[in-house]
Amino acid sequence: MSGSFVVETGQKLPERILGPLTQADVLRFAGACGDFNPLHYDTELARRAGFDAPIAMGQMTAGIVAAWIADWCGVERLADFEVRFVAPVLVGDTITLTGEIADVASGDDGREVARLTVVAAKGETVVLKGRASAVLAPAMPG
Amino acid sequence: MSFEVERGKVREFARATFAEDPVYTDREVAVARGHADVVATPTYVVVSLHYRDQREWVAQLGLDIGRVVVGSVRWTYRRPMVVGDMIVGTRRVVKDERKPGSGGDLRVLTLETDFVDATGQIVATEEDVVIERPST
Repeated sequence: MSGSFVVETGQKLPERILGPLTQADVLRFAGACGDFNPLHYDTELARRAGFDAPIAMGQMTAGIVAAWIADWCGVERLADFEVRFVAPVLVGDTITLTGEIADVASGDDGREVARLTVVAAKGETVVLKGRASAVLAPAMPG
Repeated sequence: MSFEVERGKVREFARATFAEDPVYTDREVAVARGHADVVATPTYVVVSLHYRDQREWVAQLGLDIGRVVVGSVRWTYRRPMVVGDMIVGTRRVVKDERKPGSGGDLRVLTLETDFVDATGQIVATEEDVVIERPST
């Protein structure tokens, strides 16, 4: 994925809606990453901890958002990605990912970089806020 | 900790995060885009959880695991990880602060992990901000 990628400030990323997330989805991520904290699959324990259903790992939502951004710009262009966890995602939730180009600026190394702001939300509730930078004209890999 | 970027694990991770780009699963696509092999998803380094004992590590930092939440995570990428990469991750505490919270002081730890490839180059860096809520 060499060559330039043209975007403009204010441009929206194509929205992605996922869900309702199932227990199987959360367990698939548990298997991928090795996080078997029972809060992610034990409904009774989750209830005692104050949740209506098992909670997804923050890293699962982060991974979902990162993959969505990379599907849009190409993983090769992703220079950084930052997330802040705002609220838990539960089994049964549907999450909507939205984002836009905050600005296009020159990075420290002189490359043009698009800075994105992204949000994952369930209904009106924001679960994750993120930022990412996509290099518009990266060096060739290798 | 150290780990190898594995083809099956990359596929599993791509599926678990609903990634659609075939660059994670189809070698031909990855090679056509200039990579040696299929590429890892952006947060693939989370697999390093498989290679360390989270409880022991939390205890070493003097944290109570029941009160710990991850506030934020930031990754900085130098290049995508590719299947076959041998990665060594080294984590260090860069800040250990107390901040006033509504129910008492919060302990806020900032941890930085460099992921280095077999040639000694940093491939990615992860910064985690971990918050320990006050005991009640």
